[in-house]
Amino acid sequence: MNINNCYNFEDFRKIAKKKLPAPIFHYIDGGADDEVTLNRNTEAFGDCDLVPNILNSVGEPDLTTNLFGRKIDMPIFLSPAAMQRLYHPDGDKASARAAEKFGTFYSMSSMGNNSIEEISNISSGPKLFQLYVHKDRSISDDLIERSRRSGFDAMCLTVDTLVAGNREKDHRTGFTTPPKLTAKSLMSFAMKPGWVFNYLTGKKFELSNVKKKTDKGTNIAKSVIEYINEQYDPAMGWKDAEYCAKKWNGPFALKGIMSVEDAKRAIDIGCTAIMISNHGGRQLDGSRSPFDQVKAISDAVGNKLEIILDGGVRRGTHVLKALAAGATACSFGKAFLFSLSAGGQKGVERLLENMQNEIRRNMILMGCKSIKDLDASKIIYRN
Amino acid sequence: MNLKDCHNFSDFRKLAQKKLPSPIFHYIDGAADDEITYARNTSAFDDVDLVPNVLRGVENVDLSTTIFGKKLDLPFYLAPTALQRLFHYDGERAVGKAAKKFNTMFGVSALATVSVEEISSMIDTPKMFQFYFHKDRGLNDSCLERAKAAKFDVMALTVDTITGGNRERDLRTGFTSPPKLTLSSLFSFATKPMWGINYLTKGKFELPHLQDFVKEGTSTNSSIGNYFSTMLDQSMNWKDAEQLCSKWGGHFALKGVMSVEDAKRAVDIGCTGIMVSNHGGRQLDGSRSPFDQLAEIVDAVGDKLDVICEGGIHRGTHMLKALSLGAKACSGGRLYLYALAAGGQAGVERAIEKYKSELVRDMKLMGCTKISDLKRSNLRFRK
Repeated sequence: MNINNCYNFEDFRKIAKKKLPAPIFHYIDGGADDEVTLNRNTEAFGDCDLVPNILNSVGEPDLTTNLFGRKIDMPIFLSPAAMQRLYHPDGDKASARAAEKFGTFYSMSSMGNNSIEEISNISSGPKLFQLYVHKDRSISDDLIERSRRSGFDAMCLTVDTLVAGNREKDHRTGFTTPPKLTAKSLMSFAMKPGWVFNYLTGKKFELSNVKKKTDKGTNIAKSVIEYINEQYDPAMGWKDAEYCAKKWNGPFALKGIMSVEDAKRAIDIGCTAIMISNHGGRQLDGSRSPFDQVKAISDAVGNKLEIILDGGVRRGTHVLKALAAGATACSFGKAFLFSLSAGGQKGVERLLENMQNEIRRNMILMGCKSIKDLDASKIIYRN
Repeated sequence: MNLKDCHNFSDFRKLAQKKLPSPIFHYIDGAADDEITYARNTSAFDDVDLVPNVLRGVENVDLSTTIFGKKLDLPFYLAPTALQRLFHYDGERAVGKAAKKFNTMFGVSALATVSVEEISSMIDTPKMFQFYFHKDRGLNDSCLERAKAAKFDVMALTVDTITGGNRERDLRTGFTSPPKLTLSSLFSFATKPMWGINYLTKGKFELPHLQDFVKEGTSTNSSIGNYFSTMLDQSMNWKDAEQLCSKWGGHFALKGVMSVEDAKRAVDIGCTGIMVSNHGGRQLDGSRSPFDQLAEIVDAVGDKLDVICEGGIHRGTHMLKALSLGAKACSGGRLYLYALAAGGQAGVERAIEKYKSELVRDMKLMGCTKISDLKRSNLRFRK
């Protein structure tokens, strides 16, 4: 099986599982606690049906939309994801190039293995930087400054990760970054020699954007859980978020908004967008899924800021449902990380191509000529 | 697998299954009839979603709550359960010491295998005595007097166990108290020799609150169902409960209240608390789950007595949901019994520690710093 046989999420996931050492695969694949929310994120789409309109002379549908002040070619983009070199030696470079090719956003995590400057040199496509507020505030200030200088279009501040989620798969596999060989994980690394070869012969593993400020995660093997709990500031409040928005002074989103109340406050502090997200079910298990919540939030604030639905999206029809329920665009993390693991830049391109085809085909089947035709009249909730 | 591999409820359960002879494991693990209510007790939590609020500044989380006039450091306690020395030779001694360490309430069953006097001399933290209304009034009086003399803080009268539930696993395994070797159970006892050695060498198995009055359970083998059906007074009514309540003269709870009507009557007879409980699904199969019923009961009597949600709790997030609906605290039996079987006092401590760290993490992710921050506005029901 290779990426040319990958038609959907599960196909990419299967190849990724074959290629990655178990602790790394499960770091992508796992969620918090019992993974109730992880599963619900996708299942929620199943509780809502699309209602097509026929004979609409659709022709070739227009998939473009505007987000963060840029026109993008399709209403889905790559969520920020940490440490992409663990999944493929090209890491963020592969993702950024693939996103540029399909005219959509690539997002860079604060915990990326490529630097802001490096990515900005290789891609002129739309770029979003994802920020964590560190206890050492100079780290956040530095990241904002550098993103601006490097021409990133937008900034998002993650607000759902003040403390690491209880990812039990990581406890069991002993996942750390950089990867550490333990007796337990030795076997799973030994069984994937291709991955180990690339990892050891490629560029040194580092958290490129924060390495000058902290050696945690670069030189010292840390579990992501320890890194989050040590480095991120759990005292972060609305004032801190407002400070970041003002300092950035451009398109700005809070990532991880779930309540209507918080969505309204996001407007007050000057956000231009929010990402409805529970961090892919990796943080608070039992929490609401983005799709279950998007309508209530869109009804309250949809005319005042852009709404991005992040979490559980695996199909073009999921994107259509999210847009009909009031989202401006969707983003996905797991799906693209599996495609990156499966085939680097080519893998991500294949995934984006599949999504583009699915969205296009389904818009035709729905009788929609453009994204704005997807409104509340196109869906019916089962309950 | 050992204790340090136990990260959650089902891990403790697995380890308990390895250590216990099968009739004893299934006595804990089983429930009535088809175990529909048992399963629903937990799955009920999945029909409601947590909706977090962000950017609240959550460095310090206070989990303390006050029930029955006692401040507990945790919003959950260890429900009274019978026969603990069958699960680990330290039995109530292990559980009581673990409860003391975390300053939470320890519930001691009338069918405990360690006496109230010994427990009282061992721990000075809050204690509840759980009482079954026996036909033998001398036994009833003795229980009340001994618990009072031993300075127990709360008396809980169990009202859902007027007759034994139909626990079919016990019928198949031939579970009795004290354990009896039968042809069908011989093999399972023989395959767990450590359990047998401990049972035979770590002190005689006794039911110290009952044995002066009845032979069943101590020197005569009895199934638990048979014990309840023959020894308990099925004519027990509200008048009896009221008399016991005034005789006790302190904090008094009914354990096993499920209807709003009964909750109101509990207020009228002078109760200061109720446990919304179906006895862990072990009595009336097909009956409503505590979490499904909680909101109605809190609405009716929540301002007049302490409402405790008992049953089906496996996770910190389950507790957050119950507390958000208005429960003052949560409790559970299997919550710590598997851990007791898995590792005695150290096992129970590890389980409590796990739930505690889940609660702290989940409170932070919810944007809450104290139990009273948890409100219904944090929840959305799917239907």
